[in-house]
Amino acid sequence: MKSIRKFDAVPKLNGSWKFLDDYSYQGMIFGQLLYSTCHHGIIKDIKFPAGFDLQEFTFVSAKDIPGENIVPEPECDQPFMAEKEVFHYGQVIMGITHSNLRILREFIKKTGVEFEELPAVTDIKECLDNEKNAFGKELTIDHRNGQKVDPTWIYHHKIYYTPHQEQAYLETQGMIAIWKPAEKMMFVRGTAQCPFFVKSGVESIMGKAAEKVEFETSEGIGGAFGGKEDFPSLLAGITALLSYKSGKPVKTVLDRSDDIKITTKRHPSRIEIKSWTDPKSKKIRKIDIDYRLDAGGYQTLSPVVLSRGVLHAIGGYDIPDSFIRGRLMRSNTPSNGAFRGFGAPQAFAAIEAHVENIAADLKIDPLEFRLVNLLRKDAEFPTTQLISEDHLYDCLQRVIEKSDYQKKVKEFKKWNETHKDKKGIGLAIGYHGGGYTGNGEKVLNSEIKVIIRQDAMVEIYVSSTDMGQGAHTTLAQMFFETIDHPREKCRVQLPNTSKTPNSGPTVASRTIYIIGNLLHDLALEIKAELGFENLEEYVASHQTEFPQEFRRNFIPDPSVQFDEETYQGTGYKDYSWAACVTEIYYHADTYKVELTKNWSVLDIGKLANPKIAVGQAEGGIVQGLGYGLCEFFYKPGFGRMHGFTDYTLPTSIDIPEMDIEFIHTDSEIAKGLGEIPMDFPAPSVRNAVLFALGIQINEYPMTPERIFKSLTADER
Amino acid sequence: MDFFKPANLEELLLKMQESSENRYLLAGGTDINVQIKNGLIKNAEVIYINHLAALNGIKETETEISIGATTTYFDILHSNLIKKHLPYFQASLDFFASPILQTSATIGGNIANGSPTADVMPLLLVLDADLKLISKSNSRKIPVSDFYFGYKKHVMKPEEIIFKIVIRKNAEEGYQHFYEKVGARKTLTIAKVALAGLKKEKSGKIKEIKLAVGSLNEFARRLPKIEAYLLGKTVTEIDYNKIDELLNLEITPITDLRSDKEYRYHVCANLIRTFLNQ
Repeated sequence: MKSIRKFDAVPKLNGSWKFLDDYSYQGMIFGQLLYSTCHHGIIKDIKFPAGFDLQEFTFVSAKDIPGENIVPEPECDQPFMAEKEVFHYGQVIMGITHSNLRILREFIKKTGVEFEELPAVTDIKECLDNEKNAFGKELTIDHRNGQKVDPTWIYHHKIYYTPHQEQAYLETQGMIAIWKPAEKMMFVRGTAQCPFFVKSGVESIMGKAAEKVEFETSEGIGGAFGGKEDFPSLLAGITALLSYKSGKPVKTVLDRSDDIKITTKRHPSRIEIKSWTDPKSKKIRKIDIDYRLDAGGYQTLSPVVLSRGVLHAIGGYDIPDSFIRGRLMRSNTPSNGAFRGFGAPQAFAAIEAHVENIAADLKIDPLEFRLVNLLRKDAEFPTTQLISEDHLYDCLQRVIEKSDYQKKVKEFKKWNETHKDKKGIGLAIGYHGGGYTGNGEKVLNSEIKVIIRQDAMVEIYVSSTDMGQGAHTTLAQMFFETIDHPREKCRVQLPNTSKTPNSGPTVASRTIYIIGNLLHDLALEIKAELGFENLEEYVASHQTEFPQEFRRNFIPDPSVQFDEETYQGTGYKDYSWAACVTEIYYHADTYKVELTKNWSVLDIGKLANPKIAVGQAEGGIVQGLGYGLCEFFYKPGFGRMHGFTDYTLPTSIDIPEMDIEFIHTDSEIAKGLGEIPMDFPAPSVRNAVLFALGIQINEYPMTPERIFKSLTADER
Repeated sequence: MDFFKPANLEELLLKMQESSENRYLLAGGTDINVQIKNGLIKNAEVIYINHLAALNGIKETETEISIGATTTYFDILHSNLIKKHLPYFQASLDFFASPILQTSATIGGNIANGSPTADVMPLLLVLDADLKLISKSNSRKIPVSDFYFGYKKHVMKPEEIIFKIVIRKNAEEGYQHFYEKVGARKTLTIAKVALAGLKKEKSGKIKEIKLAVGSLNEFARRLPKIEAYLLGKTVTEIDYNKIDELLNLEITPITDLRSDKEYRYHVCANLIRTFLNQ
């Protein structure tokens, strides 16, 4: 597999590639959202400002919806627009259009909504600490073995908190809708990860008013990271309704400030862990994990995040007796949603900190403690799924070796004895199940299509989107490299729900793992069926057979069985594995943690495109380091952030040199990559702080203010 | 909003004579444009001044360096004249914003905007810089330390503008110096705490000491009580409890979305200590 250049690299650099806001249509007007500034309340009155001609505007609210006022989601509980009651800040009340965007923005800014305020939960801890806020279905994984707790075992009970995280995609949310009354057809174009989700969102709001709905993505999608999984359905629905009512093409692009305020974020979590460790064998004998997520105002897709969260909650450890409980908690804040990692980064932030805390309390070397308890081949997950490979161990060994971890531990300890500033080094491990959870891929039943033209051009039709991660390059590559076809003669087509079969959403590290491998298999199948050595030559000599269409569906592995009620069985058929070491320099005067180096070793199986794989790993590790070091979205007493002035993303100079290595690349299969780089870096930063300062900070991120508070609390 | 672009300095000063309730001079616009976009500046008269050559540029006399109000940080960071005479000033400004903002943000704008976190202020304060203010009928020079008297409040008359910033060529010569800007990340960040310091020692005793802080009060200021306490002391004679006590009288840090007051106070105290032991 070669490191070929992304096919969209040049057009993106020279500006010819179109992002959503680059599209314009004859007669197009602008849409924007009027949303709630009240956390919980009854809408009493909406007062439009004087000095505007209301005839120039089009308004849609819940009562204008011809279909259903429900955004299709795993849990269908969120309306497109509030009816009488708003449940969170940022809940959409109306969609409004005008031909002039500036006038429209000014009009909305001056529009006053009067609320009768009701009690609201807006503080993260207030939401997560109070069990009464739990809503939706509770998940449990019960792998208790009835063994009695030995009185010599050492009990640890800690609570870990993780904050929101903002996806910070470069291109904000945007949709264009064009109503074609003659055909009763709604065409929507947008920046989104999941074309068929958007289509069903528009179908839901339009109901019988539209006979056909078609969604096509914009040519370029400027980043998503999960943030464009479900919110686009809501935006597309309202924009479609605006076009339906106004009769004109409508473009709704959120400005950065609205995007940050009202769209989904990573769920804040509270993870309470109780564990019992045998000090003689250094084995964790029993563990009890209470995993809670702040879902925001509605459940939406949070049950699925919760599911992945509980399935990764035990981390990379072989603990014979375990009980995991997962709950969603409701708050009056915008619904949280998908973000790279999808419940797993929270899980590893907690378990990796917990393991480090036990090792510190029992004065055991954290590496040794991990090795004693590590999830090795033939051990089992709490779901009873057997581990079929020892690759987590291999990742850990390799990263220890290449970072010279043990030598540095000694050196740093010695250095720290004589310096006010401190050096730290932290370990963390992680894994990520590829594809949809449990039976999800079977249910999705993804289908792909390939058309071979008379000039031997291969057109690939899949609903996977390229949002900058390079998916359309690697997907094409998995087809053309399999049959030695020239790269110029193989292109993934722009996803369009009328032309592309439903190969599922671009989420869950499934794009290469499910769709890429399907393309690889289809290429082999076509080759066998037609019996060619060289496709170009074959097409040239069999012109009458072309164009020819080929399809293939996902074939589930019959051994993959998962019980959605008991959470027993195969959570994920294949796992990617990783381990990392992060080095820090702690500045005593300013309580600041400076990242100095990160080594990460990952097993994602076969690499579809090594350069793109490294790019994915680097990007995810940067997001993971930011999650551990400086990113948070809410401060008690001061509320939520309003933009990038306050929300602190690390810049390139805050990010240390990264040494990334993939192992077991000679594997048969390409496994998931998208999410795993995000899962493990944060706890490695946190554990390096514990190494440097000897303090156990159980709340992320490691801001200097938090370190200062922990240090001074210790003095008191 | 009412925009005006004067043809030359003369026309600007004439325009400034007219009374106006709500007037902004726009040079680099790195903060004002954001405030306009966010509706914090409304229905104002905005006068564009970036093109006025008379306000721009770095010049020298025998004893002084003058920096025109609309000179950008990029120009200051790349000036050989500043590098030669004021290397500490120049190197410290490297922490200002990002390369992109450095090319449009101006030194006069940074001062006139009046933010308590303005990066240049602690430096100008320890360098004992002067500001030359001009109007149609008058011109005066004031020490930079006299410029502010409250949050975003300054002593300029409605018809006055900042003409240039004047720094003595030997302002940092022979001093040990210190500058630290503490933000949420290494760059492109708003200071939570900033400390600038200059000191001279003679036979082990502090002979001269200048300390200035940003982001800790309604406006950047010197720490005269601590300076007075330190004068004439050797490093071992310094009682840090006394310094902490005096610091409490000189700074009024706040807790906000960005940071906490206790943190800001302690970081400032730590930085002063580190500088004194340097």
